[in-house]
Amino acid sequence: MQFTVEEADGVRIVSSLPKVLDANNAMDFKADMARTLKGSTRVIFDMSAVKFIDSAGCGALITVLRQLKESGGDLKLYAVEKQVRMVFELVRMHKIIDIFNTRQEAILAFSHEQA
Amino acid sequence: MAGQTPRDDVTPSTVLVVDDSRVVRTYIQSHLEKEGYHVLVASNGKEALTLLSDDIGIVLLDLWMPEMDGMACLRYIRENFPEIPTIMITVSHEISHAVAAMKYGAFDYVTKPFDPSELLVIVQQALRIRDQARRLRRAEAELDKAREHEISIASRIQQTLLLGAPLRDLRGVKVGELTIASKKIDGDFYDFHLIDDTCFDVVVGDVMGKGIPAALLGAAAKQHLMSALYRLMRGHKTGDPPEPAEIVSSVHAEMIGQMKDLETFFTLCYARFDLSNNVITYVDCGHMRTIHYHHQAGSCSLLQGENMPLGFPGQDRFTQIRAPFERGDLFFFYSDGLTEARNERGEFYGEERLVEFVRAHSSLEPQELCGRAWKDVVDFSQRETFTDDLTCVALRVEPTGPANDGAREGRITVPATLAELERVRGFIQDLCTGQGASVVDEEQIKIIQIVATEIMTNIVRHAYQDRGDGQVRIEAKASPETIEMNFFDQGIEFDFSKAPLPVFDGSREGGFGLHIIAHTADSVQYTRDAGGTNRARVTFAMQRRGKDAVHR
Repeated sequence: MQFTVEEADGVRIVSSLPKVLDANNAMDFKADMARTLKGSTRVIFDMSAVKFIDSAGCGALITVLRQLKESGGDLKLYAVEKQVRMVFELVRMHKIIDIFNTRQEAILAFSHEQA
Repeated sequence: MAGQTPRDDVTPSTVLVVDDSRVVRTYIQSHLEKEGYHVLVASNGKEALTLLSDDIGIVLLDLWMPEMDGMACLRYIRENFPEIPTIMITVSHEISHAVAAMKYGAFDYVTKPFDPSELLVIVQQALRIRDQARRLRRAEAELDKAREHEISIASRIQQTLLLGAPLRDLRGVKVGELTIASKKIDGDFYDFHLIDDTCFDVVVGDVMGKGIPAALLGAAAKQHLMSALYRLMRGHKTGDPPEPAEIVSSVHAEMIGQMKDLETFFTLCYARFDLSNNVITYVDCGHMRTIHYHHQAGSCSLLQGENMPLGFPGQDRFTQIRAPFERGDLFFFYSDGLTEARNERGEFYGEERLVEFVRAHSSLEPQELCGRAWKDVVDFSQRETFTDDLTCVALRVEPTGPANDGAREGRITVPATLAELERVRGFIQDLCTGQGASVVDEEQIKIIQIVATEIMTNIVRHAYQDRGDGQVRIEAKASPETIEMNFFDQGIEFDFSKAPLPVFDGSREGGFGLHIIAHTADSVQYTRDAGGTNRARVTFAMQRRGKDAVHR
């Protein structure tokens, strides 16, 4: 899958995520994301494109988070849709991944951490 | 030969020269380096072993050396680096040893003293042959992959083109179906044509032969039958549906040419159910006799026609037969794979046994009846794989007629693969929102869809172990009060005790599926019937926002 990747203030922002993130594409997502994020530590996902997520999709996000944390980085999300937020709450994803309303807020959170 | 450097830049062109004579080593090294090769040198077998790796393109090996000699070294290379060609260096009186070395897998030998250009030719040749062998292996692997891909496409053809979408919207009938392919794909097919609220056609066929050609012909036949129905319907001034015999005759005329060329044929039973008049009109073309169980009398009769299978020349008019039925009656269509299954003694399962089985189990739900019939054949023949395709469709005309209580029912059968998740969600969406006003709000639909996704994923992954050859049947019912979904599969039984518990600290990525199901559905049950069909039943009460909102 193809993502859109931008750099801002030393943070890598990934958007154009798939519309559906489920057991059918979670493996591909993990592999493609690992390639996309090679060498990055501080990463933000624009979740606005994702309209449906299941437990495997959550698992894929956790994998990305874990890999980033191992290299001293972090993953933050913003613009999470309603259905996705509902599933996040069910599996308590919101406790382990920082979620913001806007891109600016997410970037700001990284720069505060740095300071 | 000068200037011919190794061209294939993906394969290493490093040469390992192993000889105890420094003069010989240096001599070979200087000549090969001049030609663009990268050269490593070792003075004995032991030293050579430390230099061996997959980066080495070729080894030049002296037969007689101290420490480890050439033969021992050659044996090591053949065992551990079978792809690296080895050329023995020998003196003329040792040629018999060099020949022995070739028996052990050496590519060739050169005798000292040798002409550098002669050595170069042999080196180039060895590398070329090694590359060819590699390409061949790669091509073979790709070919295998392509073949597998082809089979999976054909399997999809069968699942999507050969097996009709079950009747979803027709009230007053219950349908069950089952197909077990002998070679992953088969020529058995079935389809349902909905004519109107009280009239529908059931088509069951069996193409002679198995595998991809049979599957393709089956798909073509199904397509022809469907298009003939609509084409003829448009042709009728009143818009009345064409008679089954008319449809079959038309398809036969269209397909006979192709089928004669392919030297094949197919049997067919085309049956129309008229629920207003309780009459079945059928065209039987050499198909297995359909079992009609009479609910009132508790007995069975067999539907048999006198037409030849389609594809047989010399037949252009097909005859149809009408027979009355009562509400509560059951019809059982099947392919010969069922009755022609044999046991160890070579005896057929047979029509008589099947008729008796259907009669004795007529009270079962049609879907369960199909699963149990298959199980009975398995028990009889003592095996689960058969030489022929095995298909059955069971249909009960419900004792009470169509009624409308505001509920909506839907059924779908899909291959057990994760690629079907989207379709399963679409099915839920259609059920909840199709046909006018929605009975369920958007948020509730999303909840039901996530539960359906999790259950389907569990069936694909655990019940069928990701094999991708099973089927999942989903029956769902939506009313303004509740939504009920039932998932049926024939895989391994679900074992709660082995299911992992979710961990919420981010250290694990699995185990959330069951948690999601348990915390969104109002009830969840997993059962398994005697026929080996697993059923996961989930219900949702309407007007609620997930289980956590209201505690019972």
